[in-house]
Amino acid sequence: MAEAGVDSALTAYETMIDSVTDYEIIRLDPEGTILTWPSGAKQLTGYSAEETVGQPLSMLYPSDEVPAERLLGELRVAADKGRHKIESWQSRRDGARFWASAVLTPIHGHDRSISGYVLVARDVSEAREQELAMRSMEQMLDAITDYEVIRLDQQGVVRSWNPGARTLKQFTAEEVIGHHVSMFYTEEDRRSGLAEREMAAAARAGRYETEGWRVRKDGSRFWSSISLSPIRDDKGEVTGYVKVARDLTDRREQEQLVQRQRDEILELSTPVIQVWDKVLVLPIIGTLDSARAARLTESLLERIAVDQAEVVILDISGVPAIDTDVAQHLLKTVEAARLMGTTSILSGVRPETAQAIVHLGIELGRLRSRNSLQDALQLALRLVGGGSADERVNAHA
Amino acid sequence: MLEQVPLQRLGHTIIVTLQGDLDDATVERIERAVTDEVAKVRARGVLIDVSGLAVVDSFVARVIARLVGMVALLGAVSTIVGIQPAVAITLVELGVPMDHVHTALNAEQGMARLRRMWDDTTGYRR
Amino acid sequence: MTPLATAAEPRAPGEAPTLVQITGEADLLRVRSTLRAQAQVAGLGLTAATKLVTAGSELARNIVRYATHGQGVVLVETAEEGSRRGVRARFSDDGPGIVDLGAAMTDGYSSGGSMGLGLPGSRRLMDEFEIDSVPGRGTTIVICQWNR
Repeated sequence: MAEAGVDSALTAYETMIDSVTDYEIIRLDPEGTILTWPSGAKQLTGYSAEETVGQPLSMLYPSDEVPAERLLGELRVAADKGRHKIESWQSRRDGARFWASAVLTPIHGHDRSISGYVLVARDVSEAREQELAMRSMEQMLDAITDYEVIRLDQQGVVRSWNPGARTLKQFTAEEVIGHHVSMFYTEEDRRSGLAEREMAAAARAGRYETEGWRVRKDGSRFWSSISLSPIRDDKGEVTGYVKVARDLTDRREQEQLVQRQRDEILELSTPVIQVWDKVLVLPIIGTLDSARAARLTESLLERIAVDQAEVVILDISGVPAIDTDVAQHLLKTVEAARLMGTTSILSGVRPETAQAIVHLGIELGRLRSRNSLQDALQLALRLVGGGSADERVNAHA
Repeated sequence: MLEQVPLQRLGHTIIVTLQGDLDDATVERIERAVTDEVAKVRARGVLIDVSGLAVVDSFVARVIARLVGMVALLGAVSTIVGIQPAVAITLVELGVPMDHVHTALNAEQGMARLRRMWDDTTGYRR
Repeated sequence: MTPLATAAEPRAPGEAPTLVQITGEADLLRVRSTLRAQAQVAGLGLTAATKLVTAGSELARNIVRYATHGQGVVLVETAEEGSRRGVRARFSDDGPGIVDLGAAMTDGYSSGGSMGLGLPGSRRLMDEFEIDSVPGRGTTIVICQWNR
């Protein structure tokens, strides 16, 4: 009675699974003989019920890959374990093969003996190919230790991690896979959505290269060169990104050191000198770019405030060329000094500089100018008042 | 009105001390108070000390420039003293026209400057 | 997103920006003090800080003068780029916008009876200056000043 109950339940079940396509869901007897052949099985393999029912399961498997004895062994494992997964090739009626993922489940009778099996199989060829391709790519990436080469999915979640990435960022694969790539960005870049912008740029242009600060596991930063390329499926949709990165901190520090040294030499070459009580001289030497000119102005004005200098001499005899920008900047310095209550005298203007300034149409206003530093000093001393200018200069020297 | 506005008298000169961060209304109130006071006491000079201003934007600069013009119309001379270095360069970059404004480094030099300017306007020569 | 801070205390890098609402002239003081405090956090020199506060004052005053009901918002935050730091401030209003941006960025242009130095002057004071204006929709100006 119990036996009949199980059978009728199974029959009801089978009519239901008959409507399931894409899956091969078949019932086997205890020896592995095929008992049922629903439409899903027919669709997947091309065999009809007449060709398969009553035949051994081994007919569905290529004998060179999965011999009949092995299948009987699989049945015994399923009987022992209660559920057994088999991944292997299966044959189609037309001789082609597909990679099948199958689950074999035993059916027990009322005396707990095995009354048969249910086999549920599915064609996973495509997934397997992708998996194999990815695995071979990742094996390749594993050999790269001096570059970070990692794969991101289309949202920017880390999907693979190579030894180079581990060296660079200190994280192990377990710590990063499944996390968003922005975990390596600075807080500000994270907030501004830099990772998303970079991916969008890569998707648009086919490739995106940049340099920037990234953060290691210990929180330290490094200057990184980054290249991001989109991975596209056969429809052209972006399915992810490959990111290649390298540590450039050393190179950047080198560049900054050189820049700093250059700046320091420039600052040293333009000291503000107090030549007399309330008289300053700023001998400008070398080429003036706007950044250096701004720093010069700033330090001169601060010095004026500290010394309460009434006169400053801007000696430009050491400047090779005065272009519009430099001339404008000198005039701004003169005007700022005037607002503070200080008179400026320009000295060392060469004939070609004078011609250039006038031809540029720059308004010189109340600017005082003297040909030599000596003349400028005499004027300065007269302006601060009292005594003979010549005496003062000599006394100071 | 005077007690709310930082004005002091020293002989013929009115000293105006601006400090802190001033709102627009206060700046305009000071402007009115100074012109009223110049007329009332027939001052010869106005010394505007801005050494306590960390920021002078175009509004404040314009009010100061306007005040200098009004003081001149009332027959007095004026000078601005103590413009901070950062403020000076900022005003120049901002492009506020301050050509007619006379300046001095500190109050002492400002007082001397006011005397010279007053002598110039009256045609007196030492 | 992290919630906006409304207090005028300075923010360290990575923290939420400080929001200053502008509804009238009195708010200019708050814009200036917020910028000054933030300049200190970012390590700006005195001149750079003074230029920043002055430009901020000009732009905030523009909002009071020209925006609808003189209302707008200023967002101030610490900027970071490599190892340098700075202050970035965003001035937004939903006022009438600027019809001729080119003219508005020229010295002497003014639609409100002032000297018209606000925009070009502020741009000269700042390391970075970006303006985005849609007539009828409003104006957003982002300025940034670096510590070196």
